[in-house]
Amino acid sequence: MEALPLSEPVLLILLSLAERPRHGYSVLKNVEEMSEGRVRLSTGTLYGAIGRLLEGGWIERFKEDDNSRGRQAYRLTSRGRQILRQEVSRLKQLTRVASLCMAPKET
Amino acid sequence: MLPFCRYLLYLYPPAHRLVYGEEMVGVLREKQTELWDSGWVTRWAFWAREIVGLLQGALQERVLATTGFHSWMEFRLRRFSMRSEFRFPKATAWLMLIILAAVVMAIEKAKAIQASLPDTHPYVGPIQPAQFSVIATFAVVFVAGCVVAAVGWAVLFALRRSGVQRLSELRPSGDRSSGGKLSG
Repeated sequence: MEALPLSEPVLLILLSLAERPRHGYSVLKNVEEMSEGRVRLSTGTLYGAIGRLLEGGWIERFKEDDNSRGRQAYRLTSRGRQILRQEVSRLKQLTRVASLCMAPKET
Repeated sequence: MLPFCRYLLYLYPPAHRLVYGEEMVGVLREKQTELWDSGWVTRWAFWAREIVGLLQGALQERVLATTGFHSWMEFRLRRFSMRSEFRFPKATAWLMLIILAAVVMAIEKAKAIQASLPDTHPYVGPIQPAQFSVIATFAVVFVAGCVVAAVGWAVLFALRRSGVQRLSELRPSGDRSSGGKLSG
């Protein structure tokens, strides 16, 4: 799986799972909330991305214990967390440069 | 609409459907329940988005299952974004079509010139290719183009795979995650 830069949906999915383990529907809702309704993932897109993330070892799948339905949930792996940190660091550096470039110049 | 979406899941490769199929249906069911009291516009917008997403996802998974290469969809959706990965330029397909059209036009023009010229030499007549037709020529050129494109793509794909593998084996000496500092 390709590394940085991450696409926005992938970044939001990873951020959502960084907070706590979640199942598919919870990820969908959280992504929508975090992006203030701007990013609405379809189920097909979500599970395509989840497949890719599982394949790359960025997230892992487990069965929720405290749920009678025994739904599958997902959590971030240490590799996924490391990549997320790198991406956040990259974005911070980018916004720092942007702030400097766009700051009003003193005359 | 849920049964229809369940039916669309059959477009996915069996392996994907087996692992994620029931989960996807579960998510759709929860979303359907959530939107139960919403207006019909919201509900239809949701189902339209889901259907498109499922079709797109199925296509992507099929391509991945067949070729092992999943980035083509990103190329299609995000071709203007700057990415270092290999991409097959969309313009190439158009260029090939233009070249094909030019070749067909040249053949037609040559035929017209040939027909307009009198047969002056009594012994050597005009060249008459056996079984020549525009459609057959078009098909042959198209198939040949596809074969060349497939071979080229396979070579590039193999190069990319080996390049990515080599890059993954590299261990950077410095930590790049802290980001660069600005000077000045």
